[in-house]
Amino acid sequence: MAAEARKSMIKIKPKKFKVGDTVKVDFIVIHPMDTGLKKDKKTGEVKPEHYIDNITFSLDGKPFTTMKVWETVSTNPYFSVNLKVPGKGKITVDYTDNTGEKNSKSKKLKPKG
Amino acid sequence: MERMERRKFIQGFFAASAVAAIMTPSALLAKEEAKKVLRGKNALTYDEAVKAITGDKAPTDSDKVSLTVPEIAENGAVVPVKIKVESAMTEAEHVKAIHVLSTKNGNARCADVMLTPMNGKGYFATRIKLGGTQDVVALVEMSDGSFLRAAKPVKVTIGGCG
Repeated sequence: MAAEARKSMIKIKPKKFKVGDTVKVDFIVIHPMDTGLKKDKKTGEVKPEHYIDNITFSLDGKPFTTMKVWETVSTNPYFSVNLKVPGKGKITVDYTDNTGEKNSKSKKLKPKG
Repeated sequence: MERMERRKFIQGFFAASAVAAIMTPSALLAKEEAKKVLRGKNALTYDEAVKAITGDKAPTDSDKVSLTVPEIAENGAVVPVKIKVESAMTEAEHVKAIHVLSTKNGNARCADVMLTPMNGKGYFATRIKLGGTQDVVALVEMSDGSFLRAAKPVKVTIGGCG
């Protein structure tokens, strides 16, 4: 399971921005977020819980937002925070889930003007 | 002959209802146990969760926190939540954390978000699951240690936790 890369996406809104602007940083990841309560429709067995528990947003290695998340967040979760653009850099989102799976996704931050 | 039948019928009816009366407490107990299992491993009630976050301090309801949730959610599995907090977001005065809670979910906690002055604005948005009609609560911790609170009810037509 752990080796399998998850599909994830970072979106910066709006697309064009300047240094000093406050932009939205959206992070979406494809993840089942199982609660450990639902039954599998085919086998009839209860699916074990499987959810993302820690997320760190960082800019050039300096974390600016950390989150602790539980299974009550929807399937294929979406998180949105703001960031005041200090200049060029790289946004990295690291996330771990309760099975010990670790992943990260990064995107370059390119302000214009 | 007809009367006898009626008597028998009534006797039988009472006997059946007596059995049912004895059965009900144990049936109720079984139901409650099933409910406990349904709450999951991370089960934590709303009051416990608030106590764990705020400690002894009492959160105050504030206009500074604006919580945006749908009035009626057709699908409880995906309920969008948006929280905005008015704050200058400077080193001296900023939003330290935003906690998203629900009042009746098995696990009342949804997300704890720790913010820094680098964020520029006190803003957080996500999508959560709701098991039924209940309140969504935003608990906001400011850098001076005070707690602000905003709550809104959401009507859920199809539950999402379960």
